[in-house]
Amino acid sequence: MRYNLWFGTYDGKDVEVSENFEDSFLRAENPSPLPFNIFELGSQVLGESYYRILRKTALKVSEKQIERELKREDRYVVALVKALEEIDEATNMLSEKLEDIKAVKESDITESFEDKIRNLKELRKEIEREIEEVMKKIAPNMTELAGAKVAAKLLERAGSMEKLVRFPASKIQVIGAEKSLYKAFSRMKKGKKAKVPKHGIIFLHPFIRTLPKSKRGKMARFLAAKLAIAAKIDYFRGEVDESLYESIVKRYEELRRK
Amino acid sequence: MKELMRNVYLKDGLLVTKSRYGSHYGEKVFDGFREWIPWRSKLAAMILKGHRLRLKGDEKVLYLGAASGTTVSHLADIVDEGVIYAVEYAAKPFEKLLELARERENIIPLLFDASKPWKYSGIVEKVDLIYQDIAQKNQIEILESNAEFFLKAEGEVIIMVKARSIDSTADPEFVFESVLREIGGKFEILNHGSLMPYHKDHIFIHARMS
Repeated sequence: MRYNLWFGTYDGKDVEVSENFEDSFLRAENPSPLPFNIFELGSQVLGESYYRILRKTALKVSEKQIERELKREDRYVVALVKALEEIDEATNMLSEKLEDIKAVKESDITESFEDKIRNLKELRKEIEREIEEVMKKIAPNMTELAGAKVAAKLLERAGSMEKLVRFPASKIQVIGAEKSLYKAFSRMKKGKKAKVPKHGIIFLHPFIRTLPKSKRGKMARFLAAKLAIAAKIDYFRGEVDESLYESIVKRYEELRRK
Repeated sequence: MKELMRNVYLKDGLLVTKSRYGSHYGEKVFDGFREWIPWRSKLAAMILKGHRLRLKGDEKVLYLGAASGTTVSHLADIVDEGVIYAVEYAAKPFEKLLELARERENIIPLLFDASKPWKYSGIVEKVDLIYQDIAQKNQIEILESNAEFFLKAEGEVIIMVKARSIDSTADPEFVFESVLREIGGKFEILNHGSLMPYHKDHIFIHARMS
């Protein structure tokens, strides 16, 4: 019988001390209770610092685990954004049907119909709040630049943070406008004139939407470039860099004045 | 100021623990004491309901369902010369628990699933007390398997039971009776009681290995 302990393995006679406590900590699995005192055995090996080393190892391992876990929150956002889109569709569909029914006859059922639609709208708000909260945590820079809604939609289209950070700025600029982009490409291939889209999802950003048409392309390009940087900082470092937001405000003011 | 338990006092009507640390979850801190809010911590509620624990301060404790460490922080004040193995499986609250574990030398944080005690069987030693607050349907089963792995022969357990999480449709009284019967089969029940008005439809059970 060999026992797996956080500081090594034990065959009932000798302890083979682990070379890496973090590894052995995660492998300290045994099918049944240990028939000996792990603290006493460990103290023979590690002396008085048994608890100090154990605690240090536990802290290190769990910090790493948590980091990995939290990185998985991007999948949660992706699922939430998809759910949000479905809810919008369902709400629209139900509202249409409700109008159809109302046009024919006013009945009790229309009230419960309205109730259900109101519930869906509340659920929608709840999901939006949740998206905002998670986005602030996993992508604080992108959220500050583009708002939780736009940032979450970009993340949803990319599929994960890991994929999003590998997108060039030019791709981020046109995410959500794939249809017109590929249409333009195929026209270009045939040697025809084509209009390449200037913006996809990021058009929803107030800094683009509120500019005159001729300047939207410039702003979109600039914003996409900053978003590409923001995504990378979010994924690899996680700290907020305020200069990014300042730079897009500055660019917006410039374009607005011209 | 009245001493209720080791490092636990009633100070001007407030439950407090003696502590040299700062605030962890928004509780008040004043000259060496931290307010222990019974609405936030079921253990605090239990003490205010009149049930005390005889703790010497050097106990080894296995805490299942540590969450963000609200109760753990006070328990760490009480067993200031002991060790608390704090098990929690959810990443989000665990982040907050980690903050606590970084400043307290007597807390060992374990990001493990409490329903799989074999996974941490080569880490946790035999303990004097298992404290469980996990609000899960099979929480008694989880308690029993952890006790089998880690509880000393004369060890004690404290378990917080929420009626709704065991059976959301049955009458709470009925749920509590069946839980007490189940625990009574394996342990000797020392005391139990309601946590009203601090926690609705909750009871604590204090039992000993038999």
